Amino acid sequence: MSSVLSTGSGAKPTRDLADQLVDIVGPRGVLRRPSELVVYRSDGLPGYSKQPRLAVFPRTRDELIAVVRLLAAAHVPFVPRGAGTGLSGGALADDVVLLGLNRLTRILSIDPIERLAVVEPGVVNVALTRAATPYGLHYAPDPSSQAACTIGGNVAENAGGPHCLKYGVTLNHVRAVTAVLPDGEIVRLGNAESEADGYDLLGAFVGSEGCFGVALDVTVRLSPNPQAIRTLLADFTSIEAAARATSDIIASGIVPAALEMMDGPTIQAVEASIYAAGYPVDAAAILLIEVDGLAAGLETDVLRVEAMCNGAGARTVRIARDDAERARLWQGRKKAFGALGRISPHLVVQDAVIPRTRLPDVLATIHEISERQRIKVCNVFHAGDGNLHPNISYDANDPDEQARVHAAMREIMAACVAAGGTITGEHGIGLDKLDYMSLIFSDESLAAMCRLREVFDPERRSNPGKVVPVHSCREWHGAPRSAWSA
Amino acid sequence: MERLTLDGRSPASSGQHSAPPAPGVVRAGAPPAAHRPTDSAGVRDAILEAIDHKAGVRVVGRGTWLDAGRPVDDVRHVALDALTGVVDYTPGDLTLTARAGTTLAEIAAATAANGQWLALAPWGGDAGSLGATAATASAGPMSGAVGTPRDIIIGLEAVTGTGDIVRGGGRVVKNVAGFDLTRLMVGAWGTLGVLTEISVRLRALPEHDVTLALPVPGTVALIGGLLTRLRTAAVSPLGLELVSAALCRRLGIGTEPLLITRLAGNEDSVAGQREALGLLGDVGDVSGGIWNTLRVAEPSSAAVVRLSGPAGRFAETWATAQRVAATVDGGFAHATVLRSVARVVLPLDDGALPAPAVEALESITRESCIFERLPATLWPTLAPTAVTDRLSRGIRAAFDPHRLLNPGILGES
Repeated sequence: MSSVLSTGSGAKPTRDLADQLVDIVGPRGVLRRPSELVVYRSDGLPGYSKQPRLAVFPRTRDELIAVVRLLAAAHVPFVPRGAGTGLSGGALADDVVLLGLNRLTRILSIDPIERLAVVEPGVVNVALTRAATPYGLHYAPDPSSQAACTIGGNVAENAGGPHCLKYGVTLNHVRAVTAVLPDGEIVRLGNAESEADGYDLLGAFVGSEGCFGVALDVTVRLSPNPQAIRTLLADFTSIEAAARATSDIIASGIVPAALEMMDGPTIQAVEASIYAAGYPVDAAAILLIEVDGLAAGLETDVLRVEAMCNGAGARTVRIARDDAERARLWQGRKKAFGALGRISPHLVVQDAVIPRTRLPDVLATIHEISERQRIKVCNVFHAGDGNLHPNISYDANDPDEQARVHAAMREIMAACVAAGGTITGEHGIGLDKLDYMSLIFSDESLAAMCRLREVFDPERRSNPGKVVPVHSCREWHGAPRSAWSA
Repeated sequence: MERLTLDGRSPASSGQHSAPPAPGVVRAGAPPAAHRPTDSAGVRDAILEAIDHKAGVRVVGRGTWLDAGRPVDDVRHVALDALTGVVDYTPGDLTLTARAGTTLAEIAAATAANGQWLALAPWGGDAGSLGATAATASAGPMSGAVGTPRDIIIGLEAVTGTGDIVRGGGRVVKNVAGFDLTRLMVGAWGTLGVLTEISVRLRALPEHDVTLALPVPGTVALIGGLLTRLRTAAVSPLGLELVSAALCRRLGIGTEPLLITRLAGNEDSVAGQREALGLLGDVGDVSGGIWNTLRVAEPSSAAVVRLSGPAGRFAETWATAQRVAATVDGGFAHATVLRSVARVVLPLDDGALPAPAVEALESITRESCIFERLPATLWPTLAPTAVTDRLSRGIRAAFDPHRLLNPGILGES
């Protein structure tokens, strides 16, 4: 099988590889015509266009294993991709094979006693919660893209979401993964039933952005639905006041399920869209705060949160009266990125984290940068854990504006790092943030990450060129050995 | 085998911790030729020297847990008890960064002054260092509710076996930048790097905090029923610890097994939970001090094993733990229910375990069993290695190619 694949590059091996992939997944599982591949040129991040050489979509675990082993035998690089909703360019395949996992959509088991589910990587996040609902359970990590993004993609990115403030990010909810390594070996990472000693390989795998291998199945923890939920909307005439309320709530020891902030431009965009949630359009900022848990004592926390918002200068604090109002308030938040998409042709959803006490001054710095660079920044973010999303609306076809956007993004990242923060809280490094890695990690640290990657993928074929800038690695020995040196 | 601090005194007899000697001074009775670096560069120098001499190093925090883990080959000590101090603490951020040799007691004092706490609280008390707690991923009775060190530690700095100073994570509570060196090094027993600095998330001290005891029924089926009802009861305990009758007797809190429960939150929440717990049995108040007493309950010379299993069948795991504990005079068990982990403590007799205890340990499946401390001779038969797979071996080789860091502690060959 490997004879036609083991040498050289160019058209013939491509055709031969595609034919062999068809043998595994059938003719409808392989895309090879440029016109078919156009839609895979981007993921959720605008401004990049990378076309895969071909795309393959296995439907079953066995097909997936066979595909990875075929690619291994041929030394061909590949990029695993879930729903392509990622915001850092992590699922872009630049002239290599795109390995689509979105047809592996089976929920293999739900165990309501152990509160565990085993799913294939292409299961959509919200589909898992829907399947768990009859048992009074849900899957806690809830990225804004949860209606489309997949559990496999969530594992690769260690995805977050509004409710991660209280319940933790993806890694806190993954108990075990069966993965096929890039060389075709199948490994079991973590242990769903009991604790094990040794290195935390599961912890290393989750968030490795597809560079360590491909999940065949994921065992996740399901959480019991809270006994009671209260959702508050507080509006402020200044961002500083909203940031102060955030700091006060966090410092008080109350851990809200979610504590989200949206600034005036975002509110106006949402209210002008089909996702209008009834937010006050003249507010400088709103906080969407959810408190949940046991019914006993919840009202006390709600009143305290309300008092802290008022104390920080809230104009009004509204408490959702019923599930319908709560759902509407959340829809505005979760669809804010969609609403922002109406402002300009392109939208970069940025991601950085800062210490929570630095919210007021870093938000002021971001505002100053946006004014100076003449770009439009809207902020909608997870204030409770200091996870900023400064979103930049622009036209990627305007080279001058594109240059100003890039300059502003670099300045924003530098400001967050200078405040003691980091360059991504939940979207990953992907392609987009490679250049910023050296802002927070030394060459020695980056080299250590390279070495770790090479344990899982010595040929560096799985999602090549992502996460760690290769020039930072002292032990970098040139391009991956492969049939296709893209 | 006595648990001794580096200066030769047992933690129990010397109180929390004595003032360490001045950096650079090698103490009488100390293990061979200790390095006592005061900064990360000093740790790196010690590692580079070890590479030059092709001699392994034993990483020592405050020296309180040196009998934990597999025996380490005869090597030079790198003591981190002069690498101390909180380097960053902004209470409003609920995060803290400290050098590895800082004791948990020092961190507790710094954070309590601001109404906060570091929820690690591992078994063994607060005399040990933050670095050792991280390196061994030692957890305690609150870990079921607040997480283990792998959840609580958000970043670290370490010196690898190649002498590189590397950082993973950061000082913020949410971070996915780069591959996760933090998760990998926490619980690696120092074999991937000497931890030099650690960042943790903190919690606000609860406003109301009560500890209650609930009697535990006598059969596996009844215990299973109690645990099932607890999982759906309107309680959200911070701690939920099963304590065997032998341990209750040892602590002077009765002669029957108890379920010790810590309820925390606002006044209404605690009152509501107390009422819900009362539906499951006769609850009695216990001093909150019981938690720290529990943490230091085990004798200094003991074998300790952790058992874990599915939550829905945890009563069976608990029964196994009790059965193993009964094989030794003075043996006892306790279990962190919210994590489905039981610990069995078997006091040693002249450094050894009696044959029935060894047989009982041999009968437990390897998969559900983690040994914390054992007589040296038993490690090769009961748990020869924790590094069983290609990936783990590869990671060890990548970070410590000369195999200098705590050689032998994971049973790697």
